[in-house]
Amino acid sequence: MRGYALGESHLTSFDRQFEALCRVQRPDRYRLLDALPTDVPRIPRGGGVSYVAASFGAGGVSQELGAFDRLLAFDEAAGRLTVEAGARIGDVQRFLLARGWYLAVAPGHPRASIGGCIAADVHGKNPARDGTFRSQVEAMELHAPLRGTVVASRQRNPELFEASCGGLGLTGSIARVRLKLARPPSGLVMRRVPVTSLAEAAAVLRESANARVLYGWHDGRARAFGRGVVWVGLSSDRAEGAVEDMPPRDADLPATVRALPFEVWNRAGIAAANGWLGWRWRRAGQSPESLAAALFPLNRARVYFAGFGKAGMAEAQWLVPHRRFDAFAEALADEVARSRPRITLIASKLFAGRAAGLSFDGNGVALAIQLAAPREAPQQRFLEALAGLALAHEGRPNLIKDSSLDGEVARRGIAGFDTARGQLAAHNPGGLHGSELSRRLGL
Amino acid sequence: MKTMVVGASSGLGRELATELARRKHDLVLVASGRRDLEALAADLTLRHGVAVELVALDLATAADPGARLLAALDAESALDALLLPLGMSRGHDDFSLDAAAIGELLAINLHAPLAIIHALLPRLLAAQGVIVLFGSVAAVRGRGRNVVYAAAKRALVSVYESLRQRFAPGQLRVQLYEPGFIATNLTWGMRLPMPASDPARLARQIVAGLGRGSRRRFVPARYALIAALLRGLPWALYRRMRA
Repeated sequence: MRGYALGESHLTSFDRQFEALCRVQRPDRYRLLDALPTDVPRIPRGGGVSYVAASFGAGGVSQELGAFDRLLAFDEAAGRLTVEAGARIGDVQRFLLARGWYLAVAPGHPRASIGGCIAADVHGKNPARDGTFRSQVEAMELHAPLRGTVVASRQRNPELFEASCGGLGLTGSIARVRLKLARPPSGLVMRRVPVTSLAEAAAVLRESANARVLYGWHDGRARAFGRGVVWVGLSSDRAEGAVEDMPPRDADLPATVRALPFEVWNRAGIAAANGWLGWRWRRAGQSPESLAAALFPLNRARVYFAGFGKAGMAEAQWLVPHRRFDAFAEALADEVARSRPRITLIASKLFAGRAAGLSFDGNGVALAIQLAAPREAPQQRFLEALAGLALAHEGRPNLIKDSSLDGEVARRGIAGFDTARGQLAAHNPGGLHGSELSRRLGL
Repeated sequence: MKTMVVGASSGLGRELATELARRKHDLVLVASGRRDLEALAADLTLRHGVAVELVALDLATAADPGARLLAALDAESALDALLLPLGMSRGHDDFSLDAAAIGELLAINLHAPLAIIHALLPRLLAAQGVIVLFGSVAAVRGRGRNVVYAAAKRALVSVYESLRQRFAPGQLRVQLYEPGFIATNLTWGMRLPMPASDPARLARQIVAGLGRGSRRRFVPARYALIAALLRGLPWALYRRMRA
């Protein structure tokens, strides 16, 4: 029957660590959302840009929701937007910025869907100031075959609302969302603060908690471990973030970056890149930055991702409480000196939220560590050692970024993991919604 | 400019509506799913600032769809363009359908366009407007599949010729597009002999041609060659192409 026409596609996670031939449905009308037989396992798929295989898996049907990308209502006075969940965050920001609003919390990839941002409860450019994506979600409408259509908000079906924020798509297909908007700055000035270590970076981050944009970039090589720069983005009256600076949709980073036939990020490539970035950035100063560039930094990283080649990459992201962070950073430096992994970059961010469910939030400093060739044995050993160190320092893992995590590590790293899993199961009768990610984590 | 798009909620129809809104046409959108229409109307109004009216109408069961659409227009309202990218095909359209299924296919693919044209013709003539019909490459030559669908689509070629013969170019322009495979939910998952076309790209081409005179075009243009080859194929060879 055409109503639930299924095609087959090779789907790959953004980090290239998982690939599967999957059955894919592309509903383009509301009635087709419910056209699949009720016993068919499924998972909603938005932009298909999650680092891990969150929107597909062997055996189930991926429901691609790209056709549900329409703007439904915009209250310009109150700053509220109702939108279908398949809308791309880049498109939404383009629309809003032209009208004097924006979403303060947005991931770096402009093709991420609004529904995906909720399911992953992504963070933006300064989670300590703005929280995670859930902070700007007021209500959502979810479809699930056995439950029908349900509206969830903090007042109405609050348990379903909480479970769906960071619920990895397991509570059903998010169809519509009402979002709370913020006023964008006229422009940004990016102040560079050079640091010589991760501990020093953490101190700078803490001192700048209210900045619009706040993150660090660090060298991950043993000989210069932690050296880098913290970017502090401050509001500026100068209109450097002019709307016309928003790149057109066609300029957005593609969902799948074509890999170069060779690997750029060998030791020489990593050394060259770090040397160049260090020369360019590692001096105090400041410069104007367009808001568009600050919102979607991955648009400038196409070559970087292509450079991982067909082997792909891994990103391990851990949030460590403040009181344990310096010790963690020191232990990590020792581990890097010992095992000399091929780390392409380390990014640091400040968090000041409340850990809820499976979301990546809490109070501390997060490190995102990206590695080349993650299937090579030394790299895998480093990832295991990193997980051990992070767990020993009360670190919390980011499930939506790290393909190397298993259920046991997730359980140890996330307080209340079993409770969150139970809540998801309560909203996912029969385990109808599932992905490779949920299978790997035992959700 | 007021333009009506029938079959606007998905596929090529939705892309046509989007492109028309981008070019600041006020729109009347017609499709069966009210919720889809409401979403599209809201989106086009917010993004492009155009006025959008919508009519939820099941063309398979509507006895007189033309009258319904005429009633939906203001009494004084002219209609500058009528686009009819509606269509429905089914599996097993290979002499296996029952009468009800045949009737449904004919209702959507042939009766509805004819009834709508008849009802709205005075409004279009008043505006010296344009009717845009959508045939199909599948109707170039009869096959053992898509039997009813292709018959209905080929009948639209006759409608196109009738309109052009009846009305002078200064009164009414008529355009017939005959698309090949289009990348929509209708073709998703099918093994196609050639790549499906991007509906947004086709929509841009069709809307850009609205101001031109009457015309008949295969879209994309490569299908003109394919159609010519199919038509010119000796019967003995064509008959063997049953796959």
